[in-house]
Amino acid sequence: MLKVTGLTKRFGGVVAASEVNLEVHGGEILAVIGPNGAGKSTLLNLLSGLTRPDAGRIEFLGLEITHSVPEVRTWKGLGRAFQIVQPFHEMTVQENLMVGALYGKPGTSMQTAQKVVRQVIGLTGLAAKADTEAGELTLLEDKRLELARALCTQPKLLLLDEVMAGLRPAEAMEAVELVKRIRASGVTVLFIEHLMPVVRALADRVVVMDYGQVIAEGRYDEVAANVRVREAYLGRSA
Amino acid sequence: MILAGVLLLLALVLPGLPLGQWRAFLLDAAQFAFLISGLALAWDLLARTGQLSLAHGAFFGLGAYAAALSAPALGTIPALLVGGAIAALSSLLLGLATLRLQGMYFAIATLAFSEVMRTLVLKSQFTGGSIGLPVQPAFAGAYPLGGYYLAVAVLIICTVVSLLLSRSRLNYAMAATRQGEAVARVLGVSVVRVKLVTFMISAFLAGLAGGVYAMKTLFLSPYDAFGLGRAVEALVIPIFGGLYTTTGPLLGGLIIVSLETWLRLRIGEGYLVVYGVILVLTILFLPKGLMSLFARRKGASHA
Amino acid sequence: MELLLQTLINGILAAGIYALVASGLALAVGVVGIVNFAHGEFSMIGAFVSYLLFVSAGIDPIISLGLAAMVLFLVGAITYYGLIRPVLAAPELNQMLLTFGISVALQNIALLVFGADTRVVSTSYQGSTIALGSISFGVPPFAAFVLSVGLLGALYWFLGRTRLGFAVRAVAQNRLAPGLLGIETQQIYLLAFGLSAALAGVAGVMLSVMLYASPTVGFAYTLKAFAIIVMAGLGNLRGVVPAAIILALAEAFVSTYVPGGGGWVEAVFFLVIFIALTWRSWRVP
Repeated sequence: MLKVTGLTKRFGGVVAASEVNLEVHGGEILAVIGPNGAGKSTLLNLLSGLTRPDAGRIEFLGLEITHSVPEVRTWKGLGRAFQIVQPFHEMTVQENLMVGALYGKPGTSMQTAQKVVRQVIGLTGLAAKADTEAGELTLLEDKRLELARALCTQPKLLLLDEVMAGLRPAEAMEAVELVKRIRASGVTVLFIEHLMPVVRALADRVVVMDYGQVIAEGRYDEVAANVRVREAYLGRSA
Repeated sequence: MILAGVLLLLALVLPGLPLGQWRAFLLDAAQFAFLISGLALAWDLLARTGQLSLAHGAFFGLGAYAAALSAPALGTIPALLVGGAIAALSSLLLGLATLRLQGMYFAIATLAFSEVMRTLVLKSQFTGGSIGLPVQPAFAGAYPLGGYYLAVAVLIICTVVSLLLSRSRLNYAMAATRQGEAVARVLGVSVVRVKLVTFMISAFLAGLAGGVYAMKTLFLSPYDAFGLGRAVEALVIPIFGGLYTTTGPLLGGLIIVSLETWLRLRIGEGYLVVYGVILVLTILFLPKGLMSLFARRKGASHA
Repeated sequence: MELLLQTLINGILAAGIYALVASGLALAVGVVGIVNFAHGEFSMIGAFVSYLLFVSAGIDPIISLGLAAMVLFLVGAITYYGLIRPVLAAPELNQMLLTFGISVALQNIALLVFGADTRVVSTSYQGSTIALGSISFGVPPFAAFVLSVGLLGALYWFLGRTRLGFAVRAVAQNRLAPGLLGIETQQIYLLAFGLSAALAGVAGVMLSVMLYASPTVGFAYTLKAFAIIVMAGLGNLRGVVPAAIILALAEAFVSTYVPGGGGWVEAVFFLVIFIALTWRSWRVP
């Protein structure tokens, strides 16, 4: 579904992504993990088009999108939720979602968009808050809104950037269930995560990054047993 | 919304009311108020995308000069449309170069644009340069109230466009662009296109108002038509009245332009001081404008 | 050849005042983080201070320089304390509108008090020139240039070599989250904004001799200062001097070599702003 080859990005002297090769298969949930500063967020920014790569190639559904602007990638079915939730504060939840529903696919009519929004509100459990201004939500609700807004663009592949960060364990597990439901509705998911229990509960496959490079790839238990992965984590965070 | 309707209705019937000896003055002042309120409504449209424009005085002036110069050949209405079109075209060129800029950079670029437009008009021959340009009245003077009703028409057009846009799908894109450009793009909004389209609509309306203004004052000079005063009026009124609304600029325009007209009689030059003071006070004490006083009681209804 | 040399000298001499005004603005933008549209109005006030002292008490502008610096430091400090401080945490749009409002208000108050006439401080040395072979230039521009260079040197010394200057730079680089401003940061802001206004005021005194005092004299300098700091990179004080030289030279060349160039000079800063901004906007994806 998504194929990344040789993707490289430098910021000054720092190589934030170095020759990254990655493939996401249709229907799976793929986790990208790694220590702080490993280049995970840069990878997501490169994939969603907010950062331009210095080298490499990104293919989505067989078409090259390496240099496409963010909105074009969204139109093609590449959705994205941010780590730091950035709701449009002056709009209600419903209005926030309408933005994604109207513009996620060009030429969507108001009626169609409203239908999409109703579906997504149902799926994400935001019905009670539909008319609340986004500035007044709790953190958990904000995270749901962030997810819901990305879903409203009707993605085929959804990029999630540490959407569980800051949640209590019980809340995180609630969010895990939500992501599972999203996958069940036919959306492929690539997510970045710090919390290992979440990764274990969700991921079909795990990719590990360190210093901008992919250092391991496989099922959760395979990766967890990998020596280089242990070094990467213990070497700096312990 | 209701208030807006009442105001527009009053504008339509005003010439029929028994105004006595003040009639000519009142109609003239009202005409000016309508045009400036229209300009303010136009400015507010661009503000909805988060851009602070100091170029609306220049769009107004461009529309004024273009309409004045083309009216003898084309007739009044086509000339006014030409004025709007020239303003829109210039906003397209300015926008292509600068709309990727954010915040202060865009504001400064628009300010510089205004200064250069004035210099160009000042240095050109066909505009009358620094001497100025005499202008024919609307419809070559065939209808005494022609200019007045053109001003009413401009105000109605600006009001309707403002209302329609706030109910349209574009409104979601404009608000999203204002509140978070990167997020808006990832949600599929072409923010550059949204800004450009809004900029052009906004500049067109400003140019239209400028054209009618030219036919009202009958004489244009670069210092008047391209003065900073217009840019100041265009932005202070919506901020005072309430940004991103239709009623706000209408109400603000009525109040502030009345105040301005009265001050012009009393102190002449320097009247703009009220705009400066109102701007400062509004930002400090009522950053959401007059409309926030109503909204607090009625809930968050957008009008 | 002589014309070229003369043009170069005119440009370099004008760059002094430009750099002075722009350094003040760079301080406000770089340290306090405020885009001050009223910066030129501080110069305007400085010019009127000089004018009033000259006509009422015959005080020479050279002495007015110090007085104007003190007056404007005070004006800047009051402006910061009363008007800028409340909006430090507000959106950038509100901050810009506020300073724009201050600019409009000050310009028009001056218009009400003094009228639109231009007023020149005509000192005995105003018309005198220095001739070097076939090249000549006026004493006031030369003196203004020398003074500007001296003041800029002092400013750089202050920022680079003193403890307080170090604190100012630290605050500039380490912008704290709004609402978390410590008392020391507040004092640094006050100092920086006062200094910024004082620099503009000193430049205003020079303008009262070289050009004139009028309500709108400062506004053109706001724009030129913006052109310079945009070229230099926002808040980058070190880039101000070369950028000021580029702008001043460009204006001098247009004025000498473009037919009817006198009026077009006013458009040069636009081109400079435009190129600098467009370059900036297309470089960032």
